[in-house]
Amino acid sequence: MPDFPIIDMDIHPRESRAFPLEPHIPSYVVEALKQRLGGSPQNGYANPTGSYERRDAVCLDPKQTAIDHLDRYNIAYAMIQPPGMSVSLTNQIDVGNALAIAWNDWLIENWLKADPRYLGSISINMRDPAAAVAEIRRCAAHPQMKQLCIPGEADDLYGHRRYYPIYEAAAEHGLAITVHPGSEGALHSVTPVGRVSNYFEWHTLIPLTYQAHLVSLIAEGVFEKFPSLKFILCEGGVAWLCHTMWRMEKNFKGLRATVPWLKRLPSEYIFEHVRLTTQPLEEPHRAEHLLQIFDMVKAEKTVCFATDFPHWDFDDPDRVFPKSMGDHLRRRILYENSAEIFGLPTLDETMAKAAVGATRPSPAIAD
Amino acid sequence: MSAEPTRLTQLIPTGYGSEDPAICHAFRHVEEAKPPVSRSGKRFTVCHRDDLKPGERRIVDDGRQGIGVFNIGGRFYAIKNVCPHAGAELCRGTVHATHRPSDVGEFDAAYHGRILRCPWHGWEFDIVTGKGLYDRTGRVATYPVEIDEAGNVVVMT
Repeated sequence: MPDFPIIDMDIHPRESRAFPLEPHIPSYVVEALKQRLGGSPQNGYANPTGSYERRDAVCLDPKQTAIDHLDRYNIAYAMIQPPGMSVSLTNQIDVGNALAIAWNDWLIENWLKADPRYLGSISINMRDPAAAVAEIRRCAAHPQMKQLCIPGEADDLYGHRRYYPIYEAAAEHGLAITVHPGSEGALHSVTPVGRVSNYFEWHTLIPLTYQAHLVSLIAEGVFEKFPSLKFILCEGGVAWLCHTMWRMEKNFKGLRATVPWLKRLPSEYIFEHVRLTTQPLEEPHRAEHLLQIFDMVKAEKTVCFATDFPHWDFDDPDRVFPKSMGDHLRRRILYENSAEIFGLPTLDETMAKAAVGATRPSPAIAD
Repeated sequence: MSAEPTRLTQLIPTGYGSEDPAICHAFRHVEEAKPPVSRSGKRFTVCHRDDLKPGERRIVDDGRQGIGVFNIGGRFYAIKNVCPHAGAELCRGTVHATHRPSDVGEFDAAYHGRILRCPWHGWEFDIVTGKGLYDRTGRVATYPVEIDEAGNVVVMT
Protein backbone atom coordinates (compact mmCIF):
# COMPACT_ATOMS: atom_id res chain seq x y z
CA MET A 1 0.00 0.00 0.00
CA PRO A 2 1.31 3.52 -0.80
CA ASP A 3 2.51 5.30 2.36
CA PHE A 4 0.37 8.33 1.59
CA PRO A 5 -3.21 8.73 0.30
CA ILE A 6 -3.46 8.60 -3.48
CA ILE A 7 -5.99 9.49 -6.18
CA ASP A 8 -7.07 6.93 -8.77
CA MET A 9 -8.28 8.61 -11.96
CA ASP A 10 -9.95 5.61 -13.56
CA ILE A 11 -12.21 3.00 -12.01
CA HIS A 12 -15.02 1.18 -13.78
CA PRO A 13 -18.14 0.10 -11.97
CA ARG A 14 -20.83 -1.42 -14.12
CA GLU A 15 -24.47 -2.24 -13.82
CA SER A 16 -25.41 -5.27 -11.72
CA ARG A 17 -28.47 -7.08 -10.51
CA ALA A 18 -28.17 -5.30 -7.18
CA PHE A 19 -27.59 -1.91 -8.80
CA PRO A 20 -29.50 -1.96 -12.09
CA LEU A 21 -29.79 0.87 -14.57
CA GLU A 22 -33.42 0.15 -15.37
CA PRO A 23 -35.07 2.15 -12.50
CA HIS A 24 -33.21 5.27 -13.65
CA ILE A 25 -34.27 5.16 -17.29
CA PRO A 26 -36.62 8.08 -18.06
CA SER A 27 -40.14 6.77 -18.61
CA TYR A 28 -40.44 8.39 -22.04
CA VAL A 29 -37.88 6.01 -23.56
CA VAL A 30 -38.87 2.79 -21.83
CA GLU A 31 -41.01 1.70 -24.77
CA ALA A 32 -38.39 2.93 -27.25
CA LEU A 33 -35.79 0.70 -25.60
CA LYS A 34 -38.21 -2.26 -25.74
CA GLN A 35 -38.43 -1.54 -29.45
CA ARG A 36 -34.63 -1.85 -29.53
CA LEU A 37 -33.80 1.79 -30.20
CA GLY A 38 -30.94 1.76 -27.69
CA GLY A 39 -28.44 0.25 -30.10
CA SER A 40 -25.07 1.68 -30.96
CA PRO A 41 -22.35 0.58 -33.39
CA GLN A 42 -19.59 -1.59 -31.96
CA ASN A 43 -16.02 -1.71 -33.18
CA GLY A 44 -15.89 -5.50 -33.28
CA TYR A 45 -12.69 -5.89 -31.23
CA ALA A 46 -13.62 -7.97 -28.20
CA ASN A 47 -11.11 -8.70 -25.47
CA PRO A 48 -9.92 -12.23 -26.26
CA THR A 49 -10.23 -13.46 -22.70
CA GLY A 50 -13.98 -12.99 -22.85
CA SER A 51 -14.13 -9.99 -20.53
CA TYR A 52 -12.39 -6.68 -19.93
CA GLU A 53 -12.20 -7.51 -16.25
CA ARG A 54 -9.64 -9.19 -14.08
CA ARG A 55 -10.60 -12.67 -12.97
CA ASP A 56 -9.80 -11.86 -9.35
CA ALA A 57 -11.82 -8.65 -8.97
CA VAL A 58 -15.20 -7.11 -9.65
CA CYS A 59 -16.47 -3.57 -9.31
CA LEU A 60 -20.19 -4.03 -8.87
CA ASP A 61 -20.98 -3.00 -5.31
CA PRO A 62 -19.91 0.44 -4.04
CA LYS A 63 -19.36 -0.68 -0.43
CA GLN A 64 -17.42 -3.76 -1.45
CA THR A 65 -15.28 -1.82 -3.94
CA ALA A 66 -14.46 0.65 -1.18
CA ILE A 67 -12.99 -2.24 0.79
CA ASP A 68 -11.44 -4.17 -2.11
CA HIS A 69 -9.89 -1.19 -3.84
CA LEU A 70 -10.05 2.15 -1.99
CA ASP A 71 -9.03 0.84 1.43
CA ARG A 72 -6.56 -1.64 0.04
CA TYR A 73 -4.55 0.97 -1.88
CA ASN A 74 -5.00 3.96 0.43
CA ILE A 75 -7.08 5.74 -2.23
CA ALA A 76 -8.42 9.06 -0.99
CA TYR A 77 -10.43 9.69 -4.16
CA ALA A 78 -11.34 7.49 -7.12
CA MET A 79 -12.73 8.92 -10.34
CA ILE A 80 -15.50 6.77 -11.74
CA GLN A 81 -15.47 6.52 -15.53
CA PRO A 82 -18.99 5.16 -15.98
CA PRO A 83 -20.48 2.99 -18.73
CA GLY A 84 -22.51 6.05 -19.74
CA MET A 85 -19.43 7.54 -21.39
CA SER A 86 -20.48 5.81 -24.62
CA VAL A 87 -24.06 7.09 -24.91
CA SER A 88 -22.75 9.49 -27.57
CA LEU A 89 -22.62 6.58 -29.98
CA THR A 90 -26.30 5.62 -29.56
CA ASN A 91 -27.88 5.54 -33.01
CA GLN A 92 -31.13 7.18 -31.89
CA ILE A 93 -30.21 10.61 -30.60
CA ASP A 94 -33.12 11.06 -28.14
CA VAL A 95 -32.51 7.65 -26.64
CA GLY A 96 -28.84 8.61 -26.31
CA ASN A 97 -29.87 11.71 -24.38
CA ALA A 98 -32.15 9.68 -22.11
CA LEU A 99 -29.45 7.09 -21.44
CA ALA A 100 -27.09 9.89 -20.35
CA ILE A 101 -29.69 10.95 -17.77
CA ALA A 102 -30.14 7.35 -16.65
CA TRP A 103 -26.43 6.70 -16.17
CA ASN A 104 -25.93 9.95 -14.29
CA ASP A 105 -28.78 9.20 -11.88
CA TRP A 106 -27.51 5.62 -11.50
CA LEU A 107 -24.06 6.92 -10.64
CA ILE A 108 -25.28 9.49 -8.14
CA GLU A 109 -27.79 7.20 -6.40
CA ASN A 110 -25.64 4.08 -6.16
CA TRP A 111 -22.01 5.19 -6.08
CA LEU A 112 -21.57 8.83 -5.16
CA LYS A 113 -23.99 8.51 -2.25
CA ALA A 114 -22.24 5.41 -0.97
CA ASP A 115 -18.84 6.90 -0.25
CA PRO A 116 -17.47 10.46 -0.48
CA ARG A 117 -14.23 9.08 -1.91
CA TYR A 118 -15.99 8.35 -5.18
CA LEU A 119 -15.81 11.18 -7.71
CA GLY A 120 -18.28 11.28 -10.56
CA SER A 121 -18.19 11.85 -14.30
CA ILE A 122 -21.19 13.32 -16.05
CA SER A 123 -22.19 11.25 -19.07
CA ILE A 124 -23.38 13.34 -22.01
CA ASN A 125 -24.44 12.82 -25.61
CA MET A 126 -21.82 14.60 -27.72
CA ARG A 127 -24.10 14.28 -30.76
CA ASP A 128 -26.64 16.66 -29.26
CA PRO A 129 -24.73 19.58 -27.73
CA ALA A 130 -27.90 21.39 -26.59
CA ALA A 131 -29.09 18.32 -24.70
CA ALA A 132 -25.57 17.73 -23.39
CA VAL A 133 -25.48 21.27 -21.99
CA ALA A 134 -28.84 20.74 -20.28
CA GLU A 135 -27.53 17.52 -18.72
CA ILE A 136 -24.34 19.23 -17.56
CA ARG A 137 -26.43 21.94 -15.88
CA ARG A 138 -28.66 19.32 -14.24
CA CYS A 139 -25.76 17.35 -12.75
CA ALA A 140 -22.98 19.87 -12.20
CA ALA A 141 -24.28 21.00 -8.82
CA HIS A 142 -23.56 17.59 -7.29
CA PRO A 143 -20.40 18.18 -5.25
CA GLN A 144 -18.79 14.87 -6.27
CA MET A 145 -19.36 15.45 -10.01
CA LYS A 146 -15.99 16.76 -11.17
CA GLN A 147 -15.79 16.09 -14.89
CA LEU A 148 -17.42 15.00 -18.13
CA CYS A 149 -16.42 11.63 -19.54
CA ILE A 150 -16.58 11.27 -23.31
CA PRO A 151 -15.42 8.48 -25.62
CA GLY A 152 -12.44 8.64 -27.96
CA GLU A 153 -14.71 7.74 -30.85
CA ALA A 154 -16.69 10.70 -32.16
CA ASP A 155 -18.38 12.11 -35.24
CA ASP A 156 -15.79 14.88 -35.39
CA LEU A 157 -12.42 15.62 -33.86
CA TYR A 158 -12.84 17.38 -30.54
CA GLY A 159 -11.48 20.68 -31.80
CA HIS A 160 -14.61 21.04 -33.95
CA ARG A 161 -16.73 24.05 -33.06
CA ARG A 162 -19.94 21.98 -32.94
CA TYR A 163 -18.76 21.05 -29.44
CA TYR A 164 -18.27 24.64 -28.22
CA PRO A 165 -21.55 24.76 -26.24
CA ILE A 166 -20.41 21.71 -24.28
CA TYR A 167 -16.99 23.21 -23.60
CA GLU A 168 -18.56 26.48 -22.56
CA ALA A 169 -20.81 24.69 -20.06
CA ALA A 170 -17.90 22.62 -18.74
CA ALA A 171 -15.78 25.74 -18.26
CA GLU A 172 -18.64 27.61 -16.62
CA HIS A 173 -19.13 24.83 -14.07
CA GLY A 174 -15.43 24.16 -13.54
CA LEU A 175 -15.65 20.63 -14.91
CA ALA A 176 -12.70 18.93 -16.59
CA ILE A 177 -13.29 16.75 -19.64
CA THR A 178 -11.90 13.23 -19.75
CA VAL A 179 -11.56 11.37 -23.02
CA HIS A 180 -11.70 7.62 -22.39
CA PRO A 181 -11.20 4.81 -24.91
CA GLY A 182 -13.86 2.29 -25.62
CA SER A 183 -15.33 2.32 -29.05
CA GLU A 184 -12.66 3.54 -31.43
CA GLY A 185 -13.39 1.99 -34.80
CA ALA A 186 -17.17 1.91 -34.26
CA LEU A 187 -17.79 4.98 -36.45
CA HIS A 188 -14.46 5.25 -38.25
CA SER A 189 -11.40 3.03 -38.43
CA VAL A 190 -9.09 3.06 -35.42
CA THR A 191 -6.32 3.83 -37.92
CA PRO A 192 -6.55 6.36 -40.76
CA VAL A 193 -5.34 3.69 -43.20
CA GLY A 194 -7.67 0.81 -42.62
CA ARG A 195 -9.21 -1.55 -40.14
CA VAL A 196 -7.08 -3.65 -37.82
CA SER A 197 -7.60 -7.38 -37.33
CA ASN A 198 -7.77 -7.85 -33.60
CA TYR A 199 -7.93 -6.46 -30.09
CA PHE A 200 -4.12 -6.53 -29.77
CA GLU A 201 -3.71 -4.10 -32.67
CA TRP A 202 -6.74 -2.05 -31.64
CA HIS A 203 -5.64 -1.57 -28.06
CA THR A 204 -2.06 -0.72 -29.08
CA LEU A 205 -3.28 1.99 -31.46
CA ILE A 206 -5.63 3.88 -29.12
CA PRO A 207 -3.03 6.69 -28.85
CA LEU A 208 -3.62 7.45 -32.55
CA THR A 209 -7.09 8.65 -31.64
CA TYR A 210 -5.72 10.69 -28.77
CA GLN A 211 -3.07 12.31 -30.94
CA ALA A 212 -5.76 13.28 -33.43
CA HIS A 213 -8.00 14.83 -30.75
CA LEU A 214 -5.09 16.61 -29.08
CA VAL A 215 -3.78 18.19 -32.28
CA SER A 216 -7.34 19.21 -33.19
CA LEU A 217 -8.07 20.74 -29.77
CA ILE A 218 -4.94 22.85 -29.90
CA ALA A 219 -4.90 23.80 -33.59
CA GLU A 220 -8.58 24.73 -33.72
CA GLY A 221 -8.08 27.10 -30.81
CA VAL A 222 -10.30 25.44 -28.18
CA PHE A 223 -7.94 26.58 -25.41
CA GLU A 224 -7.92 30.15 -26.71
CA LYS A 225 -11.69 30.10 -26.79
CA PHE A 226 -12.07 28.46 -23.35
CA PRO A 227 -8.97 29.45 -21.38
CA SER A 228 -9.88 27.57 -18.21
CA LEU A 229 -10.73 24.26 -19.86
CA LYS A 230 -8.78 21.10 -18.93
CA PHE A 231 -8.74 17.91 -20.97
CA ILE A 232 -7.65 14.62 -19.42
CA LEU A 233 -6.59 11.92 -21.87
CA CYS A 234 -7.30 8.72 -19.97
CA GLU A 235 -5.84 5.29 -20.64
CA GLY A 236 -3.95 6.30 -23.76
CA GLY A 237 -0.38 6.19 -22.48
CA VAL A 238 2.21 8.90 -21.93
CA ALA A 239 5.29 8.39 -24.14
CA TRP A 240 3.61 9.47 -27.38
CA LEU A 241 3.08 12.96 -26.02
CA CYS A 242 6.78 13.85 -26.48
CA HIS A 243 6.65 13.01 -30.16
CA THR A 244 3.33 14.67 -30.90
CA MET A 245 4.18 17.79 -28.90
CA TRP A 246 7.60 18.27 -30.53
CA ARG A 247 6.31 17.52 -34.02
CA MET A 248 3.44 19.96 -33.57
CA GLU A 249 5.78 22.61 -32.22
CA LYS A 250 8.26 22.17 -35.07
CA ASN A 251 5.47 22.47 -37.61
CA PHE A 252 4.00 25.45 -35.79
CA LYS A 253 7.20 27.41 -36.36
CA GLY A 254 6.78 27.18 -40.11
CA LEU A 255 3.00 27.06 -40.31
CA ARG A 256 1.80 29.44 -37.57
CA ALA A 257 0.17 31.80 -40.05
CA THR A 258 -2.33 29.06 -40.93
CA VAL A 259 -3.55 28.96 -37.30
CA PRO A 260 -3.14 32.63 -36.36
CA TRP A 261 -5.45 32.37 -33.33
CA LEU A 262 -2.73 30.40 -31.53
CA LYS A 263 -0.87 32.92 -29.42
CA ARG A 264 1.28 30.41 -27.59
CA LEU A 265 3.46 27.49 -28.60
CA PRO A 266 1.66 24.13 -28.73
CA SER A 267 3.68 22.85 -25.76
CA GLU A 268 2.44 25.76 -23.65
CA TYR A 269 -1.18 24.82 -24.34
CA ILE A 270 -0.41 21.19 -23.53
CA PHE A 271 1.25 21.90 -20.20
CA GLU A 272 -1.53 24.26 -19.15
CA HIS A 273 -4.60 22.42 -20.40
CA VAL A 274 -3.86 18.72 -20.95
CA ARG A 275 -3.35 15.89 -18.50
CA LEU A 276 -2.60 12.23 -19.09
CA THR A 277 -3.47 9.29 -16.89
CA THR A 278 -0.87 6.61 -16.36
CA GLN A 279 -2.57 3.28 -16.89
CA PRO A 280 -1.65 1.30 -18.99
CA LEU A 281 1.76 2.78 -18.36
CA GLU A 282 4.52 2.11 -20.87
CA GLU A 283 7.10 -0.36 -19.56
CA PRO A 284 10.40 0.40 -21.33
CA HIS A 285 13.12 -2.26 -21.39
CA ARG A 286 15.10 -0.05 -19.04
CA ALA A 287 12.90 1.34 -16.29
CA GLU A 288 14.88 4.58 -16.01
CA HIS A 289 13.81 5.48 -19.56
CA LEU A 290 10.31 6.00 -18.20
CA LEU A 291 11.67 8.63 -15.83
CA GLN A 292 13.31 10.38 -18.78
CA ILE A 293 9.97 10.42 -20.59
CA PHE A 294 8.30 11.79 -17.45
CA ASP A 295 10.86 14.58 -17.49
CA MET A 296 10.15 15.32 -21.18
CA VAL A 297 6.39 15.63 -20.68
CA LYS A 298 6.69 17.56 -17.39
CA ALA A 299 5.00 14.72 -15.54
CA GLU A 300 5.24 16.66 -12.29
CA LYS A 301 2.36 18.67 -13.72
CA THR A 302 0.74 16.64 -16.48
CA VAL A 303 0.59 12.98 -15.42
CA CYS A 304 -2.06 11.55 -13.08
CA PHE A 305 -2.14 8.07 -11.62
CA ALA A 306 -4.88 5.60 -12.60
CA THR A 307 -5.47 1.89 -12.04
CA ASP A 308 -8.34 1.07 -14.45
CA PHE A 309 -9.75 -1.15 -11.69
CA PRO A 310 -11.07 -3.81 -12.22
CA HIS A 311 -9.99 -4.14 -15.83
CA TRP A 312 -7.52 -6.69 -17.17
CA ASP A 313 -4.61 -4.30 -17.65
CA PHE A 314 -4.71 -2.91 -14.11
CA ASP A 315 -1.68 -0.97 -12.80
CA ASP A 316 -0.72 -1.42 -9.14
CA PRO A 317 0.44 1.86 -7.54
CA ASP A 318 3.22 0.08 -5.63
CA ARG A 319 4.60 -1.80 -8.61
CA VAL A 320 4.09 0.18 -11.77
CA PHE A 321 6.63 2.98 -11.26
CA PRO A 322 10.42 2.53 -11.28
CA LYS A 323 11.81 2.19 -7.75
CA SER A 324 14.19 5.04 -8.51
CA MET A 325 11.32 7.52 -9.00
CA GLY A 326 11.73 10.33 -6.47
CA ASP A 327 9.27 11.09 -3.70
CA HIS A 328 8.36 14.49 -5.13
CA LEU A 329 7.33 13.09 -8.51
CA ARG A 330 5.58 10.18 -6.83
CA ARG A 331 3.41 12.58 -4.84
CA ARG A 332 2.70 14.75 -7.88
CA ILE A 333 1.59 11.80 -10.01
CA LEU A 334 -0.17 9.76 -7.35
CA TYR A 335 -2.06 12.65 -5.74
CA GLU A 336 -1.33 16.29 -6.35
CA ASN A 337 -1.76 16.63 -10.12
CA SER A 338 -5.23 15.11 -9.93
CA ALA A 339 -6.18 17.08 -6.82
CA GLU A 340 -5.26 20.35 -8.51
CA ILE A 341 -7.39 19.63 -11.58
CA PHE A 342 -10.48 19.00 -9.47
CA GLY A 343 -9.83 21.45 -6.64
CA LEU A 344 -9.60 18.66 -4.06
CA PRO A 345 -7.90 19.04 -0.65
CA THR A 346 -4.09 19.09 -0.78
CA LEU A 347 -2.11 16.01 0.11
CA ASP A 348 -1.15 17.55 3.43
CA GLU A 349 -4.79 18.28 4.24
CA THR A 350 -5.83 14.77 3.29
CA MET A 351 -3.00 13.24 5.35
CA ALA A 352 -3.91 15.41 8.35
CA LYS A 353 -7.52 14.33 8.09
CA ALA A 354 -6.49 10.67 7.83
CA ALA A 355 -4.29 11.03 10.90
CA VAL A 356 -7.17 12.50 12.94
CA GLY A 357 -9.43 9.70 11.73
CA ALA A 358 -6.88 7.08 12.74
CA THR A 359 -6.31 8.39 16.28
CA ARG A 360 -9.91 9.20 17.16
CA PRO A 361 -11.62 6.18 18.72
CA SER A 362 -14.63 5.02 16.79
CA PRO A 363 -17.97 5.33 18.64
CA ALA A 364 -18.17 1.58 19.00
CA ILE A 365 -14.86 1.45 20.86
CA ALA A 366 -15.62 4.56 22.93
CA ASP A 367 -18.84 3.06 24.12
CA MET B 1 6.50 52.60 -43.96
CA SER B 2 3.53 53.73 -41.91
CA ALA B 3 2.62 51.75 -38.83
CA GLU B 4 -0.27 49.37 -39.36
CA PRO B 5 -3.22 49.49 -36.98
CA THR B 6 -2.76 47.52 -33.76
CA ARG B 7 -5.18 44.82 -32.72
CA LEU B 8 -3.74 42.16 -30.49
CA THR B 9 -6.05 39.96 -28.51
CA GLN B 10 -5.09 40.06 -24.87
CA LEU B 11 -5.97 36.75 -23.31
CA ILE B 12 -4.35 35.85 -20.04
CA PRO B 13 -5.77 32.47 -19.06
CA THR B 14 -5.56 30.96 -15.60
CA GLY B 15 -2.12 29.58 -14.85
CA TYR B 16 -0.16 31.28 -17.61
CA GLY B 17 0.97 34.27 -15.58
CA SER B 18 0.84 37.86 -16.70
CA GLU B 19 3.45 37.73 -19.46
CA ASP B 20 2.31 38.43 -23.02
CA PRO B 21 1.72 35.20 -24.94
CA ALA B 22 4.79 34.41 -27.05
CA ILE B 23 3.24 35.19 -30.41
CA CYS B 24 1.61 38.44 -29.21
CA HIS B 25 5.01 39.43 -27.84
CA ALA B 26 6.63 38.75 -31.23
CA PHE B 27 4.08 40.88 -33.05
CA ARG B 28 4.40 43.69 -30.54
CA HIS B 29 8.10 43.77 -31.40
CA VAL B 30 7.17 44.00 -35.09
CA GLU B 31 4.71 46.83 -34.46
CA GLU B 32 7.20 48.84 -32.45
CA ALA B 33 9.62 48.58 -35.40
CA LYS B 34 12.61 50.03 -33.57
CA PRO B 35 15.22 51.12 -36.13
CA PRO B 36 18.35 48.95 -36.42
CA VAL B 37 21.75 50.27 -35.33
CA SER B 38 25.15 49.96 -36.94
CA ARG B 39 27.70 48.18 -34.70
CA SER B 40 30.85 47.49 -36.73
CA GLY B 41 30.92 50.75 -38.68
CA LYS B 42 31.48 48.83 -41.95
CA ARG B 43 29.66 50.04 -45.06
CA PHE B 44 28.63 47.96 -48.06
CA THR B 45 27.40 49.60 -51.24
CA VAL B 46 24.64 47.53 -52.87
CA CYS B 47 23.66 49.29 -56.09
CA HIS B 48 22.06 52.52 -57.29
CA ARG B 49 18.66 53.01 -55.75
CA ASP B 50 17.01 53.04 -59.18
CA ASP B 51 18.31 49.51 -59.75
CA LEU B 52 16.45 48.06 -56.75
CA LYS B 53 12.75 48.56 -57.42
CA PRO B 54 9.90 48.09 -54.88
CA GLY B 55 9.38 44.39 -54.27
CA GLU B 56 12.94 43.54 -55.39
CA ARG B 57 15.90 42.33 -53.36
CA ARG B 58 19.66 41.94 -53.67
CA ILE B 59 22.00 39.80 -51.62
CA VAL B 60 25.21 41.73 -50.95
CA ASP B 61 28.52 40.05 -50.06
CA ASP B 62 29.75 41.21 -46.67
CA GLY B 63 32.58 38.68 -46.56
CA ARG B 64 30.45 36.48 -44.31
CA GLN B 65 27.10 34.85 -45.07
CA GLY B 66 25.71 37.86 -46.96
CA ILE B 67 23.06 40.47 -46.29
CA GLY B 68 19.70 40.68 -48.02
CA VAL B 69 18.61 44.19 -49.04
CA PHE B 70 14.91 44.63 -49.77
CA ASN B 71 12.95 47.50 -51.30
CA ILE B 72 9.58 47.48 -49.56
CA GLY B 73 7.28 50.20 -50.85
CA GLY B 74 10.18 52.51 -51.75
CA ARG B 75 12.11 52.08 -48.50
CA PHE B 76 15.21 49.95 -48.09
CA TYR B 77 15.82 47.32 -45.39
CA ALA B 78 18.78 45.01 -44.74
CA ILE B 79 18.67 41.67 -42.95
CA LYS B 80 21.30 39.01 -42.35
CA ASN B 81 21.15 36.16 -44.86
CA VAL B 82 21.13 33.38 -42.25
CA CYS B 83 18.17 31.65 -40.69
CA PRO B 84 18.82 31.15 -36.97
CA HIS B 85 17.11 27.76 -37.09
CA ALA B 86 19.27 25.66 -39.45
CA GLY B 87 21.51 28.14 -41.21
CA ALA B 88 19.67 28.35 -44.54
CA GLU B 89 20.16 31.37 -46.81
CA LEU B 90 17.13 33.14 -45.41
CA CYS B 91 17.01 35.91 -48.02
CA ARG B 92 16.36 33.44 -50.82
CA GLY B 93 12.92 32.83 -49.29
CA THR B 94 9.57 34.16 -50.46
CA VAL B 95 8.16 37.54 -49.37
CA HIS B 96 4.49 37.98 -48.61
CA ALA B 97 1.99 38.86 -45.87
CA THR B 98 1.15 36.98 -42.69
CA HIS B 99 -1.75 36.61 -40.29
CA ARG B 100 -1.55 38.57 -37.07
CA PRO B 101 -2.79 36.99 -33.82
CA SER B 102 -6.56 36.97 -34.08
CA ASP B 103 -9.67 35.58 -32.48
CA VAL B 104 -10.46 31.93 -33.17
CA GLY B 105 -11.84 31.50 -36.67
CA GLU B 106 -10.62 34.87 -37.96
CA PHE B 107 -7.82 35.71 -40.38
CA ASP B 108 -6.25 39.12 -39.90
CA ALA B 109 -3.89 39.53 -42.85
CA ALA B 110 -1.19 42.14 -42.32
CA TYR B 111 2.33 43.27 -43.21
CA HIS B 112 1.95 42.63 -46.95
CA GLY B 113 5.31 42.46 -48.69
CA ARG B 114 7.19 42.66 -45.39
CA ILE B 115 7.34 39.05 -44.22
CA LEU B 116 10.22 36.81 -45.32
CA ARG B 117 9.68 33.05 -45.22
CA CYS B 118 12.81 30.91 -44.89
CA PRO B 119 13.23 28.72 -47.98
CA TRP B 120 13.94 25.62 -45.92
CA HIS B 121 11.38 25.17 -43.11
CA GLY B 122 9.10 28.11 -43.68
CA TRP B 123 9.84 30.08 -40.52
CA GLU B 124 8.59 33.66 -40.91
CA PHE B 125 10.58 36.81 -40.18
CA ASP B 126 9.66 40.47 -40.32
CA ILE B 127 12.16 42.07 -42.71
CA VAL B 128 11.91 45.46 -40.98
CA THR B 129 12.78 44.30 -37.47
CA GLY B 130 14.25 40.83 -38.08
CA LYS B 131 11.79 39.45 -35.51
CA GLY B 132 10.80 35.81 -35.97
CA LEU B 133 7.02 35.29 -35.83
CA TYR B 134 7.15 31.77 -34.37
CA ASP B 135 8.20 32.32 -30.74
CA ARG B 136 9.13 34.89 -28.12
CA THR B 137 12.83 35.41 -28.72
CA GLY B 138 13.83 34.35 -32.25
CA ARG B 139 15.20 37.06 -34.51
CA VAL B 140 17.71 37.81 -37.26
CA ALA B 141 20.10 40.76 -37.29
CA THR B 142 18.97 43.81 -39.28
CA TYR B 143 21.08 46.78 -40.34
CA PRO B 144 20.48 50.45 -41.15
CA VAL B 145 20.43 51.41 -44.80
CA GLU B 146 21.12 54.86 -46.22
CA ILE B 147 21.23 56.45 -49.65
CA ASP B 148 24.56 58.19 -50.26
CA GLU B 149 25.14 61.42 -52.18
CA ALA B 150 25.45 59.50 -55.46
CA GLY B 151 22.08 57.80 -54.89
CA ASN B 152 23.60 54.43 -54.00
CA VAL B 153 22.00 52.06 -51.46
CA VAL B 154 24.50 51.54 -48.61
CA VAL B 155 24.21 48.97 -45.79
CA MET B 156 25.91 49.85 -42.51
CA THR B 157 26.69 46.81 -40.40
